[in-house]
Amino acid sequence: MWIVRFFQSSIGKKMIMAFTGMLLFLFLCTHVMGNSTIYLGSSHFQHYADTLHSFPVIVYLFSISLLIIVSLHVGFGLNLYFKNREEGDSRYAVTKRVVENSLASRTMIFSGLFILVFLLVHVAGFTFRDEHEPISELVKELLGGFFYGSFYIIAFSVLGLHLSHGFWSMLQTFGVNHPRYNKLISSLSLFFSVFFFLFFAGIPLYFMTGLGSSY
Amino acid sequence: MKIMATIDLTLNIWRQKDNDSLGEFEIYQLNNISTDSSFLEMLDVLNEKLTREGKIPVAFDHDCREGICGMCGAVIDGVAHGPEKATTLCQLHMRNFSTGDTLVIEPFRSRAFPVKRDLMIDRSAFDRIIQSGGYVSTNTGGAIDGNSILIPSDKAELAMDAAACIGCGACVASCPNGAAMLFTGAKISQLCLLPQGAPERHSRALAMIDAMDKEGFGNCSNAKECEAVCPKSISIRNIARLNREYAKAAFLSETKK
Ligand code: FES
Repeated sequence: MWIVRFFQSSIGKKMIMAFTGMLLFLFLCTHVMGNSTIYLGSSHFQHYADTLHSFPVIVYLFSISLLIIVSLHVGFGLNLYFKNREEGDSRYAVTKRVVENSLASRTMIFSGLFILVFLLVHVAGFTFRDEHEPISELVKELLGGFFYGSFYIIAFSVLGLHLSHGFWSMLQTFGVNHPRYNKLISSLSLFFSVFFFLFFAGIPLYFMTGLGSSY
Repeated sequence: MKIMATIDLTLNIWRQKDNDSLGEFEIYQLNNISTDSSFLEMLDVLNEKLTREGKIPVAFDHDCREGICGMCGAVIDGVAHGPEKATTLCQLHMRNFSTGDTLVIEPFRSRAFPVKRDLMIDRSAFDRIIQSGGYVSTNTGGAIDGNSILIPSDKAELAMDAAACIGCGACVASCPNGAAMLFTGAKISQLCLLPQGAPERHSRALAMIDAMDKEGFGNCSNAKECEAVCPKSISIRNIARLNREYAKAAFLSETKK
């Protein structure tokens, strides 16, 4: 069937990566909006969390879809990685990358897997938690800790790296490549990586440095 | 930097009897190479020397020696077609190197490009991609007036840029995944951009990607190495167009399959 054939093809698989990547990117955007209430104070954040969880059906649907999207992104990513590794850099005695700044594109699989580990830790800490403690206190307690907080900061820098190639790569895979917009696209890739890094890594920093002591 | 008239080189060349044999590097010392000579001429000098010594010369592909046929190519110190940008190996001059340099010379490598001998590879996988749909099925009859079908100049330019591809395989050789997307993208673009090629665009995209995947080429991960080494500076914009063409064909083509 045509749809099976599409998803089995090299381009179809790329498109799944790009499409799920886009959905995950959109999820990050909503997550950023929700988390911005942390910077407003604990009562705002608690209020946001309570409001969100007063719609259990929406939360449930979101969680399930996220699980599916993440699984697809990771599954196809690994599949492509192992297929491509049959080729691999080791086929030459001397390998030289001509493209500068290829760090992000070369390490997509590793940054991706690191983010997956982070995701598991994050979900274990905040989703499957002791229900009695209000989330607004839990976030301060967990992210204010040195190891937990540092792990989060590292994870967000890795996320930034992943996005710096991923955002551009997603558009290229969708076929968006036009001289008029290419500058804008590369600026946006950089902007989103830095933005998400600053915003998310700012939260553990906020608590670790004591800035959020009056939170 | 002053360019010397002649240079002395140490060459580390991949030698392999045929596809079934194991290969290995052999080291050759070659002196007094004119910096005005091309890389292939340097190999000619080496081969003459080897022949005189009763040894087997290094096999390498070449034909036009003016950068238009796409037969030549090798990986020099890790870069396909060597250090100069937008240049085929036959057009690469020895003035790019300095005396005392050691050059590591390897064949283009890919699962889909078996080594035939030394630096010669079998690129017929490209031919099979073309055979699957990289053409226009029209009975042209006698030559018609070139202007009888109007083509906007911007479209013609884009098609010509894509048509500059000489099919040398450097894109595959340099791709960390061994993907043939730049080649296939260029071949699809040059046809689908023009009114003569547009009618078959869907079936062509489906067939050529199918053929490309069957040959065992890898999957593009947008590393852009292909564009960087392409002797004809084919842009990865052609890969974006290929992605669009394929998606459109897969979702919208009228054929049942
Ligand atoms: S020999 Fe024809 S392109 Fe180099």
